[in-house]
Amino acid sequence: MKTPKIRFDKVTKRYGELTVLDSLDLDIAPGEVVAVIGPSGSGKTTVLRVLMTLERINEGVIWIDGEPMNRMRQGDALVPASQAHVRKLRSKIGMVFQSFNLFPHMTVLGNCIEAPIHSLGLPRAEAEARAEGLLAKVGLADKRNHYPSQLSGGQQQRVAIARALAMQPEILLFDEPTSALDPEMVGEVLEVIRELARTHSYTMLLVTHQMGFAREVADRVCFFEGGKFVEQGEPNAFFTQPQSPRAAQFLSKVLQAG
Amino acid sequence: MNTVRISALVGAIAFLVGLAFATFSELKVFLPALLKGLVVTLQVAGLSFVLFLFCSLLAALGRTSANLALRFAAGIYVEIFRGTSLLVQLFWLFFVLPEFGVVLTPMTAAVLGMGLNFGAYGAEVVRGAILSVPRGQTEACIALNMPEWKRLFRIVLPQAFAIMVPGMTNLTIELVKATAMVSAVTLVDITSAAVKQNLIHYRTVEIFLITMLLYYCLCQVVRYGSKLLEVRVSRYRGALN
Ligand SMILES: Nc1ncnc2c1ncn2[C@@H]1O[C@H](COP(=O)(O)OP(=O)(O)O)[C@@H](O)[C@H]1O
Ligand SMILES: [Mg+2]
Repeated sequence: MKTPKIRFDKVTKRYGELTVLDSLDLDIAPGEVVAVIGPSGSGKTTVLRVLMTLERINEGVIWIDGEPMNRMRQGDALVPASQAHVRKLRSKIGMVFQSFNLFPHMTVLGNCIEAPIHSLGLPRAEAEARAEGLLAKVGLADKRNHYPSQLSGGQQQRVAIARALAMQPEILLFDEPTSALDPEMVGEVLEVIRELARTHSYTMLLVTHQMGFAREVADRVCFFEGGKFVEQGEPNAFFTQPQSPRAAQFLSKVLQAG
Repeated sequence: MNTVRISALVGAIAFLVGLAFATFSELKVFLPALLKGLVVTLQVAGLSFVLFLFCSLLAALGRTSANLALRFAAGIYVEIFRGTSLLVQLFWLFFVLPEFGVVLTPMTAAVLGMGLNFGAYGAEVVRGAILSVPRGQTEACIALNMPEWKRLFRIVLPQAFAIMVPGMTNLTIELVKATAMVSAVTLVDITSAAVKQNLIHYRTVEIFLITMLLYYCLCQVVRYGSKLLEVRVSRYRGALN
């Protein structure tokens, strides 16, 4: 098999007594779109957060493009990664948060050029050209001089997506990108994500409660519970004939509610 | 905004009344001495304000640092300067340090004492403001791979700044008024000049009325400046009203 874009190798994450990721294994191929579903509080966000290096893991190794991220090679051994090593691999990953986390003191354009200028060292003109292209792509070219507080939730989340794309990541993580939005704004954000997924130019990991959307855009659905992926599969098969009783129970609950 | 304008107006009128009072009472004799004191007060206040800001920021960064030694050092500084009185600190700088061969001019001792003392209080205000910037802001910076110090200076501190302005304004007003203590190190500021002039001329009411008004006007300037700053830095929050 080709080198996976992302590999979780027996990754364990604990908060005190609570084991949230329990020796988790997962391989994601380049360009693959993976939807992660599961009950609230099961640890889906944690899967993304350890990958984004927002949380340290207790055991295991996370690999990106065949390189260990939380470790680095020294001879034959893997030693704890240096800050520089983490930064290098992290530059391949972008994340879109549930609560947007835009910089409130910067305009829409300012949000999108901040990291390209101050992290990548791009000249301002180039960063602006890139940002404007991306803002046009998410349908917000005319909002470039607005502050986040002047935008609707859906618009803010689209800016957040443009901001992440401006760093030209290869991997995109979405943590319930529409669950903080009013219902009428969900569609516009999903539309942007759908477009990103369609091209398969990014490896995408999408945590969502939108079952219909997961089924539509994902190449694979992973059902997460109890610190592990209990079941994975091709979306149509998974949603019509879940194999595990836990997944079947979860689906019947959310589909009933939805 | 309104309350500021009104109090500035009240201050200005009271000042003019006071001035007229002094003029018509033919008490011009002591006014030059008071104004000379005012210059000293302004010098001490201005210089120690700069040191106050610097110490506040530095100690707050120390106290919120991941580095244990920095946290400890900043903690010690805050404890010492908050835990002992300003007057005693001034005495130490001016009268005790020379015993160890360090001789400071009165102005240096005054500015150092005031700046370090108020910096210890300011550190807590700045620290609180830094901690109240949502965690998600830092996480967004990490996700965008921003270097740690840019995260601090471009994202966290500008937002903390908007939060710290009211608290720092209070301390600045306190600082202006506390300059009255620098007579302890032989500086002749407004208060000290007023006391001296009163001993010479015995016009207690007029002298101390003018002294009070001068302090009031200084504090109004601080308040007005702070209000302008607050409007500026919180513009993005839509908090204009
Ligand atoms: N910083 C933390 N400290 C302690 N417990 C945490 C922390 N973050 C998350 N948890 C716990 O870890 C579990 C998984 O959380 P999370 O990944 O957010 O779940 P999900 O996204 O599936 O709803 C929850 O029980 C949560 O309470
Ligand atoms: Mg979650």
